[in-house]
Amino acid sequence: MRTAIGHGAVALTLVVGAAAVVWAGPQGSPQGTSALAEGAQALLARRCVSCHGPDSVARRAGLRLDRRDLAISRLPSGRTAIQPGKPAESELLKRVSLKATGVMPPHGAGKPLDPNEQRLLRNWISAGAPYQPHWSLRPLSRPVLPRVRAGGWSRTPEDRFVLARLEQEKLSPSPPADRATLIRRVTLDLTGLPPTPAEVKDFASDVSSDAYERLVDRLLASPRFGERMAVDWLDAARYADTNGFQVDRDREMWPWRDWVIRSFNSNLPFDEFTVQQLAGDLLPSPTLDQRIATGFLRNHMLNEEGGIIPEEFLVEYVADRVETLGTIWLGMTVGCARCHDHKYDPLTQKEYYRLFAYFNSANEKGIGNYGAPPKLSAPPLLQLPTDEQRARFERLKLKVASAEKSAAMAAAAQKAEVDKRLADALKELSNYELTIPTIMVMEELPAPRPTHILTRGQYDRPGEAVTPGTPECLPMGPPAVTQNRLALARWLTDRRNPLPARVAVNRFWQMLFGEGLVRTPDDFGIQGERPTHPELLEHLAWSFSAPKGEGGVGLGWDVKALLKRLVLSATYRQSSAYRPELQDRDPENRLLARMSRVRLPAEMIRDNALAVAGLLKDQIGGPSVKPYHPPGLYEQVAATNTTYTQGGAEELYRRSMYTYWRRSVPHPAMLAFDAGFREKCSVRRSRTSTPLQALNLMNDPTYVDAAKALARRVREEGGPTDAERITFAFRLVLAREPSAAEAAVLLRRLRTAPRPGPEGSAAAWERLAATLLNLDETIHRE
Amino acid sequence: MSVDDRPINRSQPASVDSPQRRAFLSGSAGALALRWLFQSDEAVASGIGSSGGEGPHAAPKAKRVIYLFQAGAPSQVDTFDAKPGLAARLGEEIPSSVRGEQRLTGMTSGQKSFPIAPSPFKFDRCGSSGAWLSETLPHLRKHADRMCIVRSVFTEAINHDPATTLMQTGHQLAGRPSFGSWLSYGLGSLNRNLPSFVVLISRPSGKTNAQPLHERMWGSGFLPSEHQGVRFSPGRDPVLYLSNPDGVSAADRRAMLDDLGVLNRERGKTHRDPAVESRIAQYELAFRMQSSVPELADLSREPQSTFDRYGPESRKPGTFAANCVLARRLAERDVRFIQLYHRGWDQHTDIRGGIPSQCYDTDQPSAALLADLEERGLLEDTLVVWGGEFGRTVFSQGKIESGNFGRDHHPRCFSIWLAGGGVRPGVTYGETDDFSYNIVKDPVHVHDLHATLLHLLGLDHKRLTFRTQGRDYRLTDVSGELVTGLMS
Repeated sequence: MRTAIGHGAVALTLVVGAAAVVWAGPQGSPQGTSALAEGAQALLARRCVSCHGPDSVARRAGLRLDRRDLAISRLPSGRTAIQPGKPAESELLKRVSLKATGVMPPHGAGKPLDPNEQRLLRNWISAGAPYQPHWSLRPLSRPVLPRVRAGGWSRTPEDRFVLARLEQEKLSPSPPADRATLIRRVTLDLTGLPPTPAEVKDFASDVSSDAYERLVDRLLASPRFGERMAVDWLDAARYADTNGFQVDRDREMWPWRDWVIRSFNSNLPFDEFTVQQLAGDLLPSPTLDQRIATGFLRNHMLNEEGGIIPEEFLVEYVADRVETLGTIWLGMTVGCARCHDHKYDPLTQKEYYRLFAYFNSANEKGIGNYGAPPKLSAPPLLQLPTDEQRARFERLKLKVASAEKSAAMAAAAQKAEVDKRLADALKELSNYELTIPTIMVMEELPAPRPTHILTRGQYDRPGEAVTPGTPECLPMGPPAVTQNRLALARWLTDRRNPLPARVAVNRFWQMLFGEGLVRTPDDFGIQGERPTHPELLEHLAWSFSAPKGEGGVGLGWDVKALLKRLVLSATYRQSSAYRPELQDRDPENRLLARMSRVRLPAEMIRDNALAVAGLLKDQIGGPSVKPYHPPGLYEQVAATNTTYTQGGAEELYRRSMYTYWRRSVPHPAMLAFDAGFREKCSVRRSRTSTPLQALNLMNDPTYVDAAKALARRVREEGGPTDAERITFAFRLVLAREPSAAEAAVLLRRLRTAPRPGPEGSAAAWERLAATLLNLDETIHRE
Repeated sequence: MSVDDRPINRSQPASVDSPQRRAFLSGSAGALALRWLFQSDEAVASGIGSSGGEGPHAAPKAKRVIYLFQAGAPSQVDTFDAKPGLAARLGEEIPSSVRGEQRLTGMTSGQKSFPIAPSPFKFDRCGSSGAWLSETLPHLRKHADRMCIVRSVFTEAINHDPATTLMQTGHQLAGRPSFGSWLSYGLGSLNRNLPSFVVLISRPSGKTNAQPLHERMWGSGFLPSEHQGVRFSPGRDPVLYLSNPDGVSAADRRAMLDDLGVLNRERGKTHRDPAVESRIAQYELAFRMQSSVPELADLSREPQSTFDRYGPESRKPGTFAANCVLARRLAERDVRFIQLYHRGWDQHTDIRGGIPSQCYDTDQPSAALLADLEERGLLEDTLVVWGGEFGRTVFSQGKIESGNFGRDHHPRCFSIWLAGGGVRPGVTYGETDDFSYNIVKDPVHVHDLHATLLHLLGLDHKRLTFRTQGRDYRLTDVSGELVTGLMS
């Protein structure tokens, strides 16, 4: 197994550099059959399998090239596509080299195979046409740490894999980042906020050997850690404050969002984190938190439009859960199998609906109740009163009970009065009830709703009935009494299931390094990318899912421990400076010969500005808030009478993750910096560079306020001279000192105030502060 | 460097291309992510095909689009799909053989009776082509010979949100890129001072039910978000955050940008990230937009004749009429995709009042736009599209009372019209049955329409793809046939 994975890297090596070096695996096995198999299978998958693959409807000539047993058998035509060892007799080779009629792929289905591709197939068939299972579906194994020459560089086991690869390519890693860069990097990565000048100073002057490790421990223990981690999870979990369809009414899922923050902060192990969100309600005597966790499965969009057919949207909700599960835990595009067998990956349509069946028995309706108050639109619901609210609610209930009693016993003369009292009490009760936070959660029907394969994925075309079950391409889960969501969650967190650990560690890697080891974090299937460092991914996945301490590296799903190991690595601590000699060889930094330089996510850009300006409020959690928002935006787009009512002063400077997320009109600053709509699961954001971003940073009142506050701070705390103040401002915003050239530019500009007089001086400093907040470096983590 | 941060013209071996970036036109780096900011002036000057790499797949007939989206779904029965034979059948039940198994919305599915409600409006043949237009469209009637009216468009979606999403993104559910985003991605920009995809929205002047719109309808889905539509709004900031804060002058801003450039390059000596040049270019473009956009949005220099032509509403910012004037100005400045939305076409009640009111908002400006474009020589390479997300039922929603009634959603057939670059003018395409209920000739699915529009823009809908989630996605999903009858 290990060598097989090593060979996976060979194909990658070929892909990466113009000066490709064939990588003999760590144990020195030469390029061999498994590399051939990998290459040939990838080629077939890319060019042939959509018509000659798993999808039985699309399949032509009865030929399947995704499975060896079928690829080498006689076809209905009497011919045989692949005769192992006999390229000349294999119809496949004949057809791909034809010039005209009968050529494969046929005209209109892409270019003919080029000579290299044909040669690859010939060599592969000569070698017996070996097949191997797709890399991501193979059982997890523990790779041996590779031998490296520059052993002293490595700080963690993970470094050995990176270094071995670099040495293979005859490259050396980059020098470590300086301390100021490092503390800003790790503080942003782990808390989403910048370090304070005092923290930078302490770290820079701390000469003890464990200074960095103590810094990391402090960050992981910070309550800001949970917020930072939650941001990525909210994207994946498609969390929002509105329902998304049509009128787009509010929902109240923030208690679930706060549960996510709490869970990361208390370091809930990832397996438990998984189980509680998928099946917290099915655990024996579930706690309130475990029931809140299942709000995850209700985060999908909800349609309340009068004309819809509830069954249609019920199907959409369940399909959304299946797709979300596929993306987050399996890295599989399971949604492709909704209408037909998956065209590339081994997942049949029937298997899709068996997954579907797990989520199809919630006690829910497909249509929200537009007549009800928004938060009560779509049961099952969970009310989350504070103790005080609970007490008051109970008192009001008693009041109603007593009013009912008097109404029942009232004499005719008093009837009107007592009836009114009862009505008032009821109204007070129901009004009060609306102040109690209420979230949507999961709750099963007493008997499961039957699930059918839906022909072409359509709600009104049920076919064969199916029962819940997991796909055959993955190992079975632990035995379960009932095949319900809990059994599914246990299957996902069983260490024999290789995908959840691989997919999860890849996302954590992506969070820290800017790109995953697999650069298609949502697709580990045949059409997805291969890992850049297959053995490293394997090692991390194995460690993450192995019980704590096993083999000296087992982490027992401990997220903080995993992140700690990653940020302690020498790989992570490298400088992110570009290296001219790598520009052609590895422009995308796949080999990790330097650290990535990454533009901050939308939330971090704003939070960073508020933090350095001293404006950021540190309250964690609670209802979403409404900070500055361009006037008139809702009025133009949204349903009649929808307006944005800006919150009070206390809502202006909260962390961006608490900004009210309206799916139909997300905050424009979030959209400008590449956040999605939160309409469906997303595990990767693009990072673009547009003029709208520049306009946002220059003119959004949030940044105007931040520049003013920063300028004030600099003038009040920065010392008596302009030079000192500039240095102070740099320390605040960039965690470093300005260079002489930089200081000179700013000093020169300070001398030409935009306006005369003392006001002019303030304006000059505000302009300087705005300049700093708009720097490319400010919105990057280096 | 991040995947999306790279300048596009950096040459690189195709083999290092990630699947996402390999997307368009089989992987040559030059054809990727054609950005509206990286073009040289020469590229802009020479127009189509020069915006990077291989450009369009075939010679385009049109190079820009003005899409006049009529949100809420205009009734075809009262505008373009004349059924004079129905007048005598007022109040009769629609034959069940006509209605067939057709799905109804929750709003009429409980109805026991489905009385035929002929259009209360008079239809006449117009122009030398003899196209039928209702009396509610007096101005468009004069342009019948410029228009290609398609009476046989159909969709599967029966509710506004999925239907509009399908019309704008090729898929009923959220998550796919909008038409304009695909175009921005596929063809890039034609100008250096404005976005390539601009969205303008207007609300109805009359009292009517205005269905909400969603940003996703002009969102970029899985395409890089630089391709999302940029909304222009009436008021102080035509583009969000366009104007400088109070107390900051253009000179201040210029000074700041100068410093930013110097400081960014200074730091660039340390990190050597080439993307820093892109960041500087973005700030410069933002600065140019601060003057180009207000100039564009400022209608005060338009002559009186413009307002006479576009009608009385055109002086009011934010109306459909004013947006039509803006659309012409955007077309003049070579914005690639100009998307208007006019809301309020959801006549579940009061066809008699609602349709004329919506037509008052849209008829004269749409007609004026056609004439104006033609006069300026822009119509020949501008594709104009007018239409909603589905049609409306010939039967009354609820009872016909005092001669008035409403119509429910009807996906089986609806009417749109096209004009301009590459479109066959003076044609009425497709036919519905006597009840404007089923298509009897030349059906055009939404995907067919998209494929045809892309074709006119020089793009093969099967080759305009983007790889994500292991699949090459298209605007037309897995279908779409060219409708040659619509093309000149």
